Amino acid sequence: MDYRLNLAARMLGNKRGSLIGAVLAVSIGILVIHVNFVIFQGIYDAIIRDMSDYRFGDVFITHQEEGTIERSSSVYTAWLERFSAVKAATPRLGGTADIEFLSMGKINEEYDVSVLGVEPVSDIQASKIHETVDEGQYVYARNSIVVGETVARDLGGCYVGVQSALRGGGEDPTVTGDQIDADCKVKVGNNIKLIMENRVGEEVSKRFVVSGISKTAGGQGFDNSVIVHIDTLRSMLDRPDESNSILVRMNDRNSLVVNDLITQFSAAYKNDDLLIENIEQSAESTLKGFRSGIAMINLIGYFGMMSSAFAIVVIQMMLVNNKTREIGVMRAIGAKRKDILIIFIFQGMIIGMCGAGVGTGFGLVYTTYAKITNMQFEGSLALEVNYNWEKIGQTALIAFGLAVIASLYPSYRATKLQPVEAMRTV
Amino acid sequence: MSLTINRGEFVLIVGSSGSGKSTLLNMIGLLDGPTNGRIILDGTETTQLSDSQISEYRNKKLGFIFQFSNLLQDLSVLENVMLPQQIQQNSEDVLQKAKQLLVRVGLEDQIPKRANKISGGQAQRVAIARGLVNNPAIVLADEPTGNLDSVTAANIVKLMKTMAKELNQTFIIVTHDRQQFPDVDRVITIKDGRSFEGEQPQMELMV
Repeated sequence: MDYRLNLAARMLGNKRGSLIGAVLAVSIGILVIHVNFVIFQGIYDAIIRDMSDYRFGDVFITHQEEGTIERSSSVYTAWLERFSAVKAATPRLGGTADIEFLSMGKINEEYDVSVLGVEPVSDIQASKIHETVDEGQYVYARNSIVVGETVARDLGGCYVGVQSALRGGGEDPTVTGDQIDADCKVKVGNNIKLIMENRVGEEVSKRFVVSGISKTAGGQGFDNSVIVHIDTLRSMLDRPDESNSILVRMNDRNSLVVNDLITQFSAAYKNDDLLIENIEQSAESTLKGFRSGIAMINLIGYFGMMSSAFAIVVIQMMLVNNKTREIGVMRAIGAKRKDILIIFIFQGMIIGMCGAGVGTGFGLVYTTYAKITNMQFEGSLALEVNYNWEKIGQTALIAFGLAVIASLYPSYRATKLQPVEAMRTV
Repeated sequence: MSLTINRGEFVLIVGSSGSGKSTLLNMIGLLDGPTNGRIILDGTETTQLSDSQISEYRNKKLGFIFQFSNLLQDLSVLENVMLPQQIQQNSEDVLQKAKQLLVRVGLEDQIPKRANKISGGQAQRVAIARGLVNNPAIVLADEPTGNLDSVTAANIVKLMKTMAKELNQTFIIVTHDRQQFPDVDRVITIKDGRSFEGEQPQMELMV
């Protein structure tokens, strides 16, 4: 072993307090990056996951301009399902409606509620909305309706508490401080009425039986909507065979396979003016701002790591001051300035390596904990936790590099000591 | 000041505190530079050397024994003795040579110990071994017995004399206690740094 490395290790080993302090400074910097990554990348990936599961599938097809696909969706779904990598394809149609619900002799109304029309059989295969039905079951008949949790509460008048009622208001309980009555919301088996305008502007209405209540963590699903059978919605809107989109679920999510499907589908229906996107493209507009946020948070994390570099500078300056006499002796017996420089840079490398190792260890423990426990915050969506080895390695390398850079100044100061002066230090 | 010391001489520099004897030794040892004049060691004009060359010169041609031994406390006894050769990146059997010297100074049983676990007398013996390990042309000792009791000091003086004779090395020793070194080749007395004066501020040391 190089004597300078040996000496650097011994000097650090005999100053355990300083070594532990410096290693902890690096480790905490790395841990902060890992925690940031787990939380913010976890939320980002969870949003993509939920968007894919509920709204866009792995491939999302819609019309390029009009938002309505006029050709029968069965033509497309039949073509898609011949493709071996496709698990299922399902059409969807959207609209808005006013909803009426008679509760305790009083009509509660909700205006401009989003209505989603689904084909239940294929939708169960292509999406995971049915898994969000917390009570009851998914849409199974032409007159059944799944009501989102928020809509169910609003329609049931849950937010009209005692104090608010005295004031004659229906205010948000988070503002009024009123208690929410758990039994007040719309329940499975209740009747509700949807009022819509069809394509020629005529008002149409239809009564539905609530088959289920849909609830998702973080409201990423259809908590603010209602879900009905697509044929019923087509009939109400007088839009037979039409759909807004087709959602495709793949057996194989490999990007090459997905892009191959997109290419082939585009070629097959090149005159239909369809827009066909993978999940990254579909979610882009939603996630663009979020990505900037993640970059900002990561930047803050790296600034945090830089502050740990300052801690290393301070600790190493203490080490240099502490070893002034030894540096003088080394210089007296023939060590060159560069030898002294290398000894203290080696110390920076040792601190960097130990810190990177310990910090990465802490980070992996936290990441594993978050993954095992399906970490979520106060009922928000569960984080999608992944081990991003490239990012983990990159963080460890940056921490190591910063520790070495941080050791440069103390090392330089050590080389400037004059042997006679240094040896006078007691 | 002009001073000539010949190879193999065991020279004592004496003088009262503050007379400049340690400064003289530091200048001979290239630890300190003159504000004026030249220092010629073994035919080399040392004031012209770069910092790196001075370090190399100190390592190869000079050996140091300090008053407080100045061992590196983080290293073992053996590693302290090996250090000058490791700095030189000598490809010879560094370990073997260091062990031989430690046996020679009577510390074979202390070899694996940490430097801070041995007595003051033993530490000074290790310092002597470290000072000799590179076969320097000159060994410089600054109050080598100043921190030792009289019995241990006598032993150290005896050891230095023996090593000087065996290895034919020049020893220049600074002390304020003339009595501890009864038998030396020469004694140079310095008083107020002015004992040896010449027309030019030149100090020439021929070894």
